[in-house]
Amino acid sequence: MSDGLTALLDPRGIRLDAVAADRDDAIRQCGRALVDIGAVLEPYVDTMLARERSVPTYLGEGVAIPHGTTDGKDSVVRDALAVLRFPGGVDWNGETVSVCIGIAARGDGHVAVLAQLAEVLLDPERARALREATTHEEILGLLQPTEGAPAS
Amino acid sequence: MPERKVVVGSSGGLHARPANLFVQAAARQPAAVLIAVGDKKPVPAKSILSVLSLGAVKGTEVTLSAEGEHAEESLTALAELLAQDLDAESPEGSDA
Repeated sequence: MSDGLTALLDPRGIRLDAVAADRDDAIRQCGRALVDIGAVLEPYVDTMLARERSVPTYLGEGVAIPHGTTDGKDSVVRDALAVLRFPGGVDWNGETVSVCIGIAARGDGHVAVLAQLAEVLLDPERARALREATTHEEILGLLQPTEGAPAS
Repeated sequence: MPERKVVVGSSGGLHARPANLFVQAAARQPAAVLIAVGDKKPVPAKSILSVLSLGAVKGTEVTLSAEGEHAEESLTALAELLAQDLDAESPEGSDA
């Protein structure tokens, strides 16, 4: 499991002090982070925006998980996550988002990490810890699928 | 409480769009529906976080249970939805 998260979450894909003008800007930055680490090709970013307009990816607890559409899968080089923290918050259809987790996925290797993220967000203390994380280690520690997590 | 076992049919598993569609459908049911994987504690089917926390992928068997008005009908509707490949379909034509 630990190998799974390490493979998906490149430390270069974690940004702790991002600033975005609005929701679409935040999504573009998540897409840009995925492009920068070589996980997706440029066209993927537009499919992330399209996907958000079709089905919003706000999860709750100040966290959104922007990702591309089915068409965007052709632009995915490898499965990866990007974590962008917006300490100033981003207006997200009336909600305030502090953490964006951009997802590039062709397969389902990231599902265990998303399941762990959901567990974290269901626990108000850990959800706050994620929103307020100031180090890569805290982010990685919180998203690490725990022992006995649902098998992928 | 009536129960129904169903195998997740969506190619990308029960997250992203399929999870959203499922949660929205569960919220529309008059009955209170729970969903569980294996021996784990059943969680509310209308909570996106709870559904994502299941980590269900294509082929995962889940158990739906429902209590209240029209429980059987709710189970049937949601089981049919779960068994479909919701990633392959695009009713609004906007997500493909």
